[in-house]
Amino acid sequence: MADAFQVLLIGVVVGALYGLVALGFGLIMRIMKFINIAQGSFIILGGFICYWLVTIWHFDPYLSIPIVMLAMFIVGLILYRLLFSPLLKYPQAEMRLDKSLLITFGVVWILDNLEILIWTPNSRSVIPSYGYGTINIFGASLSYTGIIGLGLAILAAAVLHIILTRTYFGKHVRAATEDAVAAGLSGVNVQRTYLISCGIAVALSGLAGTVIVTSYSVTPGGGMSWLLTAMVVVTLAGSDNMNFMIPAGIILGVIQSASTLFISPAYQQPIALIIFLIIILFRPQGLFSKRVRVH
Amino acid sequence: MLEISQLDIYYGDLQALWDISIAVEDGSIVTLVGSNGAGKSSIMKAISGQLKPKNGNIIFDNQNLNRLPPHRIVDLGICLVPEGRRLFPGMSILENLEVGASRKSARKNKNVTLSWIYEMFPLLKERASQLAGTLSGGEQQMLAIGRALMSNPKLLLIDEMSLGLSPIVVQELSRIIQEINKSRKITVLLVEQDVQLALSLSDKGYIIENGRIVGYGNSSELLCSPQVKSVYLGMEMDRTSQ
Repeated sequence: MADAFQVLLIGVVVGALYGLVALGFGLIMRIMKFINIAQGSFIILGGFICYWLVTIWHFDPYLSIPIVMLAMFIVGLILYRLLFSPLLKYPQAEMRLDKSLLITFGVVWILDNLEILIWTPNSRSVIPSYGYGTINIFGASLSYTGIIGLGLAILAAAVLHIILTRTYFGKHVRAATEDAVAAGLSGVNVQRTYLISCGIAVALSGLAGTVIVTSYSVTPGGGMSWLLTAMVVVTLAGSDNMNFMIPAGIILGVIQSASTLFISPAYQQPIALIIFLIIILFRPQGLFSKRVRVH
Repeated sequence: MLEISQLDIYYGDLQALWDISIAVEDGSIVTLVGSNGAGKSSIMKAISGQLKPKNGNIIFDNQNLNRLPPHRIVDLGICLVPEGRRLFPGMSILENLEVGASRKSARKNKNVTLSWIYEMFPLLKERASQLAGTLSGGEQQMLAIGRALMSNPKLLLIDEMSLGLSPIVVQELSRIIQEINKSRKITVLLVEQDVQLALSLSDKGYIIENGRIVGYGNSSELLCSPQVKSVYLGMEMDRTSQ
């Protein structure tokens, strides 16, 4: 029983991180209809920036978050200006999707090798001194870094939700998502809306990178497996609702962590992919999305 | 107010409009009539910045609109109610209206404009939190007009207002358009397939055929002209009256 509870707890913590990883990926996919393959590499980049801030300037890893996110936000702006905005000349969403796949795959290539060049291929982590502590919840133990990661993921999702529903910018984002042409005709600067959303999405990957480097480790080239996870979570959640990213991540996390207990840790990745296939086959709109849409 | 001169529009290599010149005077209602595919909507798209003209100029209050993106044109005070409404179906009615007030100068007056629009379309107020996608066709058109008015436009463009709507709704919308034109001094440029409706609503009309202007004049005169009567209103001409 205690085992099961421990597994559940670990699943929730890991799953919230999965949700956080999916948040940035899903945001770009939903708003601009681009698939950003490089999202995983950005996560690793964010982790390495945090690693530098901690090892060179002796920042507390969690206090470095604003700087990491700001740096990644700027990376996101550059990504949009340089690579994404030229794609908008393709009128159909499918064409944009194809081209964005190719282009961001190139970004993965460049970033991964750049990361090896700068940080060497070793894996790095910066677990703070207080991070090894654990607390006991009904006989199960939970690390401080896990709790902080869980909190940050939920906070990020909540802030994103508030931005999207309460602010002018958020309403512009949603309008541009539903009908970019009509949004432009209503006076929304669609390009700028995309630009800033792209910055936010990449900044979120910076946050995810910080959480990963403080509770696990980052390795150049390790972004692909995070990207795969993000894709599974987005498929589970349905790409049109950002609110369900964290719950979907937690579902995946709990299933994976249960599989380590009942089957074998080696099957974590295959199980995620099996879930992915099942969802694609039987519920392509995602677990939480309603299909019905009146136009 | 709006001065279009010798406009040529292409879709790729395909020319859609030839030598279009239109003048819209301040405070008037002007209509573009013509059959399906004549190029009326292309003119609207050119004015609102969705199509870039190859030749010719679109001048609004001494500003050339040729190279401006749609949102900058909204900033200048031109707002289009697009064909087929194009609302944001997953957003509430209130949110649709709020997005309409994106123009900077419109944000300050947002609440005043909103209450004015609610007064005009009480139904939108009742259902403010309902998703726009759940509205009927007529209600959607009201919301689309409301959304455009939220930007406090000087010139309101309406593309195919009556398409697919019941006569009663069309009558109601026509009354509202005349009212906003009179009470708010908003100039209106209207594209319509329903020639009778459009000409009875407007001060001036342009007849467009195959991408060219084939006639224009005061709407009341156009309504009586033999050309319009025979081609668009399906009336047989009495030979002796010619």
